[in-house]
Amino acid sequence: MLTADERERYDRQIMLTEIGEEGQEKLKRASVFIAGAGGLGSPAAIYLTAAGIGRIRLVDHDRVDRSNLNRQVLHWDNDIGRSKVESATEKLKKLNPEVEIEAIEETITEANLSELLTGFDLIVDAMDNLTTRYLLNKAALDNNIPFFHGAIYGFEGRAMTIIPHKTACLRCVYRGVIPEEKFPVIGVTPAVIGCIQATEVIKYIVGIGELLTNKLLNYDALNMEFTEFNVKKDPHCEHCGHMKTTG
Amino acid sequence: MSITVNIHQALRHLINNQATAEVNGTTVGECLADLVKQFPGIETKLFDKKGKLLNYVDIYVNLESSYPEELTKLVNDGDKLSITLMIAGG
Repeated sequence: MLTADERERYDRQIMLTEIGEEGQEKLKRASVFIAGAGGLGSPAAIYLTAAGIGRIRLVDHDRVDRSNLNRQVLHWDNDIGRSKVESATEKLKKLNPEVEIEAIEETITEANLSELLTGFDLIVDAMDNLTTRYLLNKAALDNNIPFFHGAIYGFEGRAMTIIPHKTACLRCVYRGVIPEEKFPVIGVTPAVIGCIQATEVIKYIVGIGELLTNKLLNYDALNMEFTEFNVKKDPHCEHCGHMKTTG
Repeated sequence: MSITVNIHQALRHLINNQATAEVNGTTVGECLADLVKQFPGIETKLFDKKGKLLNYVDIYVNLESSYPEELTKLVNDGDKLSITLMIAGG
């Protein structure tokens, strides 16, 4: 049940026939794991917090650096040197005290990931490297947790939604590796992609709209073009090829 | 057969800063070979020393992934190829 304060806070989105009070209650009951509190994690966490997700766990091992501030909008100048999850949690709790925000300052590894995910319904991939993205993809499949991928480079962004056992996974699309590197980026690019990830999460929880499944969305900010590449589940996929497809 | 190739932003400097190029071929591999013939600088960004497509390069034909056929996938006159690169920043 929503409280009177919640009804007032979410009034404009409860007005949406696609959401209504029932949808808002679904958002309140949901728990979202956000991997990364940086360029993608900031907008994703802000909009999921504002929308009234019940419980959010933010995981990031990093500390705020001055060079993060052009894009990681949850961190401000006076946060330089602080833990990113601590800095982010402080802002998110002020934005919406109704949401339970949990900060975990840890590196995501194969060894700790299952435990970190325990009790969470959805995973937002807001990482900055492919190695951890693959770990998250595998864990999402193994634990049957929907996975919302996003990535950026410069003026370009990508997003894709993965429903285990039903749709193509990240490893069906990306088979290679790229070295970890310092990548160019302007803040507006992860802002768009992080918001798309948050939108997908909200749609999935409420059960509305069409998801970005079996599609890799490519956002070209320089030409303001959105392209959807069609992708298929790979029967030989290293991560999901052995899994039975349902639905 | 005339095929239009959309080139990923990060490779456009190798084809005179164009977003697209016109190539000829009946397979993805032939189209890419024609692209390399026109713009030799792009070869090492697409292929390894053995001529295998690099594993962070993805090719789409009319927005459909060309995997797993990749270079052997057949194309038709008027098709659009897209060369994309994996990205992982956040």
